[in-house]
Amino acid sequence: MAGLVPPGATAIPAEASKTAHTKAEEKTDYMNLPCPIPFEELQREALMSLKPETFEGLRFDFTKGLNQKFSLSHSVFMGPTEIPSQSAETIKIPTAHYEFGANFIDPNLMLIGRVLTDGRVNARVKWDLTDNLSLTNEPHMSHGMVNFDYKGKDYRSQFQMGNGALFGASYIQSVTPHLSLAGEVFWAGQHRKSGLGYAARYETDKMVAAGQVASTGMVALSYVQKVSEKVSLASDFMYNYMTRDVTASVGYDYILRQCRLRGKIDSNGCTTAYLEERLNMGLNFILSAEIDHSKKDYKFGFGLTVG
Amino acid sequence: MAAQPKRGGVSLPERRSAAKAESNILARITSSPLVSRGKQAACDAAFVSKKLLRSTGKAAWIAGTTFLILAVPLIIEMDREQQLNELELQQASLLGAPPTASVSK
Repeated sequence: MAGLVPPGATAIPAEASKTAHTKAEEKTDYMNLPCPIPFEELQREALMSLKPETFEGLRFDFTKGLNQKFSLSHSVFMGPTEIPSQSAETIKIPTAHYEFGANFIDPNLMLIGRVLTDGRVNARVKWDLTDNLSLTNEPHMSHGMVNFDYKGKDYRSQFQMGNGALFGASYIQSVTPHLSLAGEVFWAGQHRKSGLGYAARYETDKMVAAGQVASTGMVALSYVQKVSEKVSLASDFMYNYMTRDVTASVGYDYILRQCRLRGKIDSNGCTTAYLEERLNMGLNFILSAEIDHSKKDYKFGFGLTVG
Repeated sequence: MAAQPKRGGVSLPERRSAAKAESNILARITSSPLVSRGKQAACDAAFVSKKLLRSTGKAAWIAGTTFLILAVPLIIEMDREQQLNELELQQASLLGAPPTASVSK
């Protein structure tokens, strides 16, 4: 027990000095605020229940852990994929691809690689020092991105650099134990665009409300109510000032012992359901459905996840 | 009507006049504003009811499919969960021991 005291005693002055110069004007009551969640995950609860990854066709995922830290993944997908087109009707072509992935996950270092049969390569490196560095690489679309994250005691800041002269920075700070405020700046040199955004998130153990405004004209509000441990209800509202589109959606998220079921309906009449049924330990069966009556677009998919 | 002029005779004009009067009455009835208005109303009613039926059908279709997607899986899963719970309760009462195995599950 005596051996445990010195680390704590040394940690307190270090924290105190850190907080003292960052926010000296705050009251003593507000010295021990929880660390906020990363800026890009600001609306994660709402996104989790309202935006499940629906797919069309068949998918099969297999993950094999070779040892504690290293695992290989294989995944097969077959089914029609949408091609973006100018006309109102969606054009779909049947595709099939196989994806091979290798993951190395360690508390400090995370290496993830993905290769698709159509030639796409995706790599992610995440390296935790005190600051963490993450790199995403996609040669075909030539996407490269480096993030520098700094996690403070009650704030997080991030600096983003991408090719095409893309720069971004964001900062999120806990203001009260429940409320956190955030701001972001980005500049895309290739498109000569820049923007500024603000966000706020209010969180209690019963509900989460988040709002985001950006100078691109986007307003996004979301609200999640946790009815019980198993059930949460979510709603969100999106408004784009430039294009004048408004969408609102309402959804539920049930986490039961044998399955997880997510359903959503939005103001365009698009209905989505996503069911993950646990058949056995490490064997999940997925059913996905999405129907859009106005576009006459119906997507149904099923899949199996092993491992 | 085309055979009438061939017959000739005296009665023809009378008949003609009678037919004329009849057709006049019929014509008068058919061309009367009340009848034409009724006909119009019937046509409108048929049109509206057809449209109403079609839109009701469409609404029912949309509501039904939405229900099928959103609510049916939920009902089935809730039922399964309840059955599992009941089974567990039964097992617990039979064994008398706290169901440790089910907790880890």
